[in-house]
Amino acid sequence: MARFLVRRVLSIIPTMLVIITLSFFLIRLAPGGPFAREREIPPEILENILKSYNMDKPLFGQYLDYLGNVLTGDFGPSYRYRNRMVSDFITQGLPVSLSLGGIALVNAVFLGVLVGIVSALRQNKWQDYSAMSIAVVGISVPAFVIGPILQLVFALKLGWLPLGQWIGDKGIAAIVLPAATLSFYYFAVIARLSRASILEVLRSDYIRTARAKGLKESVVIAKHVLKGALLPVVTYLGPAFSGIIVGSVVVETIFAVPGVGRPFVQAAINRDYTLIMGEVIVYSVVLILANLVVDIVYGFLDPRISYK
Amino acid sequence: MPAQKKPLDAVNEFNQYLKPVSLWTDAWRRLRRNRMALVSLWVVLAYIAVSLAAPLLARVGILYDYTEQVIDHVNLPPSFRPAGQLAIERFEDRAAQLEAAIGGRGAELSSGQDDYLEGYESLEGEVEGMEGEDFSFDFAYDATELGEVEGAEDADLLSIESGSNFSFSYGGTESADIDSDPLAAELDRARTSIARLESELAMNEVHARVYLLGTDDLGRDMFSRVLMGGRISIMIGIVGALTAVAIGIVVGAIAGYVGGWLDNFLMRFVDIMYSLPYLLVVIIIMSMVGNQGRGSIVILFVAIALVSWLTISRVVRGQIISLKNSEFVEAARSMGAGPARIIFRHLLPNTLGIIVVWTTLSMPAFIMNESFLSFLGLGVSAPDASWGTLVSEGVRGMTLRPWQLVGPAIAMTIFLFCMNFLGDGLRDALDPQSKNRG
Repeated sequence: MARFLVRRVLSIIPTMLVIITLSFFLIRLAPGGPFAREREIPPEILENILKSYNMDKPLFGQYLDYLGNVLTGDFGPSYRYRNRMVSDFITQGLPVSLSLGGIALVNAVFLGVLVGIVSALRQNKWQDYSAMSIAVVGISVPAFVIGPILQLVFALKLGWLPLGQWIGDKGIAAIVLPAATLSFYYFAVIARLSRASILEVLRSDYIRTARAKGLKESVVIAKHVLKGALLPVVTYLGPAFSGIIVGSVVVETIFAVPGVGRPFVQAAINRDYTLIMGEVIVYSVVLILANLVVDIVYGFLDPRISYK
Repeated sequence: MPAQKKPLDAVNEFNQYLKPVSLWTDAWRRLRRNRMALVSLWVVLAYIAVSLAAPLLARVGILYDYTEQVIDHVNLPPSFRPAGQLAIERFEDRAAQLEAAIGGRGAELSSGQDDYLEGYESLEGEVEGMEGEDFSFDFAYDATELGEVEGAEDADLLSIESGSNFSFSYGGTESADIDSDPLAAELDRARTSIARLESELAMNEVHARVYLLGTDDLGRDMFSRVLMGGRISIMIGIVGALTAVAIGIVVGAIAGYVGGWLDNFLMRFVDIMYSLPYLLVVIIIMSMVGNQGRGSIVILFVAIALVSWLTISRVVRGQIISLKNSEFVEAARSMGAGPARIIFRHLLPNTLGIIVVWTTLSMPAFIMNESFLSFLGLGVSAPDASWGTLVSEGVRGMTLRPWQLVGPAIAMTIFLFCMNFLGDGLRDALDPQSKNRG
């Protein structure tokens, strides 16, 4: 286990190196830049601009500098927003995005597993059919359709919940709509996943043994079925988390949530390359760490897997 | 001369013919039993057929041009009645409202009405200005700043009270229309529009159009926009999935069949690509190439396909590894078949079931991702539309003009719904032992 952990953590390094290298050279290759303006810039001023963006050195030197700066959390200045560093956007937005994503993930897992259990235990009854119909809707309707409809119904027509923004301005109720929008798809996938795997486990020999021992049905479900059936759900947590983090870009745009997603989209439209790359690096770190955690949890849950 | 040998049909002990049941006939039999999947299959085929036929329908005139802007028909709701009639009624409603408001009966103007008329009038002004025939524009100044109004001497200024708003217009007709009441001016305009529309009604066949799904804020037919948008979305789904499958099969087959260092190298590469957030990579690519007009659709295809072959390449590799030492491959090799023939003739057909299922299930994902990008403004650009751009346009005015959101959203959802059902059905039919169905 320890060796696996070390290897797994060490494998992050080449991945991050690839991402940072790719990011850096993409910035430099991309057309336009901080000084691409309609008016021609006098050479002295251009020199100063280049200096302030650390672009007056040879390319490889710049690359090493960028690498060093990224390691210390400095992603350079934004190309479009004057006097704002990329890291400002990230330190301000990341806590919001992570809490939105975390709430959505917990919500999706909790409700998804619950619905999955109910529909598996009531297979082919109305509970099963209605739950699975909702799940297919959840898989088929994109978040940017669900979001505005929820806004229309719960914020504009009924007035129960705020239309958008985040806790600082609107209080805790502001979480509900964005988190619901973000988690709906993953709730649906997890519900289908857990239903299918519970049905499979219910047919297995060790459940028959448990029942033959005379255990109460509730104990069989809680202790034996769930433990085996939740493994696929744990495997899905990695992709689900990365999907939620990326999906929050849309949800943040719809609900005006001040996370990292909105500046990211704006940066992509404005071609604010340093901001784009900084955000991609931060997103990648978050996703890689999330996958690492999932792998470790999986190792603890499934004794059949021995990490080498 | 030996007679042509007729293949003997297999017969069982009861003298019944036994047709060999292949995987595909077996799968088709299973699929047909799944009613939802079958219905979905027909719906999907209908969508594809309509999308293919859409440009043809537009040329014949059944479908209105999805880029044509009719300013008289801006923001009309869905209806089975001719558009000219609806536009006149809208102005009549507005005129009645204005009369009531001017008459001091306390009737309130609804903001919804205000909104579309504003859009309408600004467009009308623009277009008429460009034609140069009836050049007119309106000013609205605060009367306290009147002294500085240029050209004010040209107009007949009647009674202007300090601090009140007024508007005047002057133009080729020389008839300066001064009114301290903007409502009366608007009423006047509404009546002129009614008169104009009524005179045009018989002559201009545009007014006989029927907008089944209403129109958008530029007076374009939503129905043809939804069809053409679906065409682009479905095309991205199909082309994206097929490209990704092609790349994935080649990489997976080579890695699995050759093995060794090549396998190691390719799979490490796939691992690294996996840890890149894939949609973010597409966003970077889209932002780097910028807005290329029609070309951005092609770039979108390439960008989405380039980063989504990873899963299928792993699946194919796993299948190939498990099959490559089996007896039928040994037999083929002993008869002198080369690696290409073994891979394409013997190995891949055995993994086709999984590939078909994956392709079907990834198509809705591609369509969703394309819409996601278009929604953010990074995908398909005007005048083309995809379901994503239509939904994002619809979201903007959803409180006043819900049909602009509902039409494309429902069209898209039905298609995604059916694709998902069809994919599930295919998986049950082709791969009955598959575990952990998501």
